[in-house]
Amino acid sequence: MSERKSGCRVRVLFYGRLAEALGAELDVSLDAGSSVAELRERLGADHPYAEDVLRSRRTRTCVGDTLVPDDYRIAASDTLEFLPPLSGG
Amino acid sequence: MSIVARLEPRQLRPEEELAALIDQASGDGAVVSFVGVARPHSKHGDAVEQLVLEHHPTLSQRSLEDIGIEAGERFDVSHVRVVHRCGEIGAGEPIVFAGASSAHRRAAFDAADYLMDRLKTEAVFWKREDGPSGSSWIEPTEADYADRGRWE
Repeated sequence: MSERKSGCRVRVLFYGRLAEALGAELDVSLDAGSSVAELRERLGADHPYAEDVLRSRRTRTCVGDTLVPDDYRIAASDTLEFLPPLSGG
Repeated sequence: MSIVARLEPRQLRPEEELAALIDQASGDGAVVSFVGVARPHSKHGDAVEQLVLEHHPTLSQRSLEDIGIEAGERFDVSHVRVVHRCGEIGAGEPIVFAGASSAHRRAAFDAADYLMDRLKTEAVFWKREDGPSGSSWIEPTEADYADRGRWE
């Protein structure tokens, strides 16, 4: 019998050009233990017009106001934030 | 040493910020300030009516503080002041004030230069130009990233 992965739903917030393209907030269903890299791929596949920005190394991901790397494993209680390239000054 | 780092949602008055910095800097021999102003044209020459600086509820203010504190640690300055607008900014209005004071001029010049290079690429804002021909998101140029890299 194959093992079935348990899933979770996470809240994802977007800013700047990503908020314009995808909306400010999405609820996303993921396999438990998915990484940020997998979430980026998944969002890029679902929203191909924003794929470049979602995959850009200059687009940062935060959980609880802290930057997390692409190999961060997402927990069910996480709210993820995608920050497209920053532009101040 | 003092650090002022402030997100300003309404109006930025550079002359008041400079006056406050000069006031704080009594005893110093140098005060250097930079004011960034919204341009009336995009890099493609299209008219820009307003700049919209979207910000993050917590990370924008924190990024200003972090950049200000790191400038204070890195250079021999007495005071650092960074004030950054968010929201809608009309063409010709100030976006950012970055200033520093020091005993001698070089540290204050360097600190102001450093503040702006960091703010361009690391302050948590997203910049959009709105004009009659539409809206476009503005991101740092490769030259901006290279300028930031000078300090590594």
